[in-house]
Amino acid sequence: MPLPDYEKKQYKVTRTMPGAWYLSNYKYKFNLSRMRIMLRGFKEGKILGVKCRGCNHVSFPPKLICGRCLVMPDQWVTLPDTGSVATGSGSPRTDQETGEIVIDPVILVRQDGADTVWIHNLPENYSFHDVYIGMPIKVHWAEELKGLWSDIEYYDPIEDMGDKINKEELAKK
Amino acid sequence: MERIGIVGYHQVRPELDLQMSPYECIFTAVRGALDHAGLKRKDITTVISATNDYYDGKTISNCFKVSAGGAYMKDESKVEMDGAHAAQYAMFRILSQNHKLAMVYGFSMPSCMPFECTRILELDPTFDRPISLMNSYSTCGMQMRAYMKKYGVSEEQIAEATATNWKNAAKNPLALQEAQKADMTAAEVLKSDYLASPLRELMYPLLGDGCTALILAPEKQALKITDNPVWITGVGNCQETYYFGERDLTTSLSMEKASEAAYKMAGVKPSDIDVAELFGYTACEDIILAESAGLAEKGKGDSLVAKGCLNPSGGATSGMTPCATGLNRIIEAVKQLKGEAEEHQVSGVKKAIASGQIGFCAQNNIIYVLEGGN
Ligand SMILES: [Zn+2]
Repeated sequence: MPLPDYEKKQYKVTRTMPGAWYLSNYKYKFNLSRMRIMLRGFKEGKILGVKCRGCNHVSFPPKLICGRCLVMPDQWVTLPDTGSVATGSGSPRTDQETGEIVIDPVILVRQDGADTVWIHNLPENYSFHDVYIGMPIKVHWAEELKGLWSDIEYYDPIEDMGDKINKEELAKK
Repeated sequence: MERIGIVGYHQVRPELDLQMSPYECIFTAVRGALDHAGLKRKDITTVISATNDYYDGKTISNCFKVSAGGAYMKDESKVEMDGAHAAQYAMFRILSQNHKLAMVYGFSMPSCMPFECTRILELDPTFDRPISLMNSYSTCGMQMRAYMKKYGVSEEQIAEATATNWKNAAKNPLALQEAQKADMTAAEVLKSDYLASPLRELMYPLLGDGCTALILAPEKQALKITDNPVWITGVGNCQETYYFGERDLTTSLSMEKASEAAYKMAGVKPSDIDVAELFGYTACEDIILAESAGLAEKGKGDSLVAKGCLNPSGGATSGMTPCATGLNRIIEAVKQLKGEAEEHQVSGVKKAIASGQIGFCAQNNIIYVLEGGN
């Protein structure tokens, strides 16, 4: 009788057999309570963080539980749309069209007024060599705000916008 | 052994589809246990959890639960077994004198995962799994048939004990609502469909999402925290072989050894035990475990259920939360000792046992001897 083809004939004392090791489907439950308020804020172009009454730490995106105090933070605070790069790295990928290796910057953003960071993007084709810790950045909102995570498209570097900001400020006065 | 005190606990009432996220559920139990003991998070020095990567749908399941479990910046570890095993791990931490107060919790959300699939993955992958006939139901069925045949126990007797479990669950305010069947009868149990003959649908527990937390303290601290702690005076743990062919399913060797060790440590005899909260998947397994723990003569364990001293809370039948069921048994025994079990209180409980398990047909058992009083 021919041996089934999965047998490794060169082995004398062990054999392998095919098997599967997976857990069918899984459902992940999460709380809407915090996220719903944050997304409602996005729809109005607002950045909402949540402050813990125990330790005054502000988290953005809002956390469900403060690990320090073991309480559920419940004080909502509006944060400015500016922040800074807490740290960053480059993530290489192959460009589908040119076949070249492109390095996309990946950054951790600390929203001004928040004690936490979250991971986000810089504008497309922004060189990761130009990223540095402490680099000031600003939320780039989507054209139409829908109350979704994607309302914040990416963060714009703002260091070279001094002129523009000055002009805006002067115009207001 | 120095006595270890149980000074606080909280059980989130299990639900078939709990409207909480995992973190909120754990937070509720852990926060509740601290509040129950009148303690603060900073008082806890070590946190031991019982969770399972497969039940949580992520590897290193404990790393996500740090904040909710009160473990932020603390000594922390996980047991991928029953919550009752986590409690033993926490005890070791305290007895090593490196830690004072230990938080223990067990958690899972069966509404998110195919629990029976995870059980199939427990099976030997080369021989048992490909046959695809072995699973949680068929092993319970085989165990039940073997037990009934050996001791001449009838299906009716098992059904009667099962019905009592459902009725007991109705008196337990922390039982799964769907498990509270005050009017259950043996006849109705016997009318339900076979899952794996002789095991019927109503003989197998319902699974519920939940979390249970427990705070352990060394003797001196325990007496400072509460006037009436419940003491862990003995613990025993034993692992039997996996292979069914080597096991006598009509009894539980691992429970026999584990209980012997626990009784010896506590200096008690089986006849001293007033109430037992044992974790068996089925009423039949409850009975087998109780007999192996020396509470009844072999083949006569169902009398314990009838007397009301075996699983007055309904046992796992009151709602099974994988990873938390053993802790629930401990809490139920603690309540019995404190006289706080309300409707399902057994009178005059001085000494109790509680057990947890893992593996098919309770391959591994862990048992605690618990005593009240100062
Ligand atoms: Zn806090």
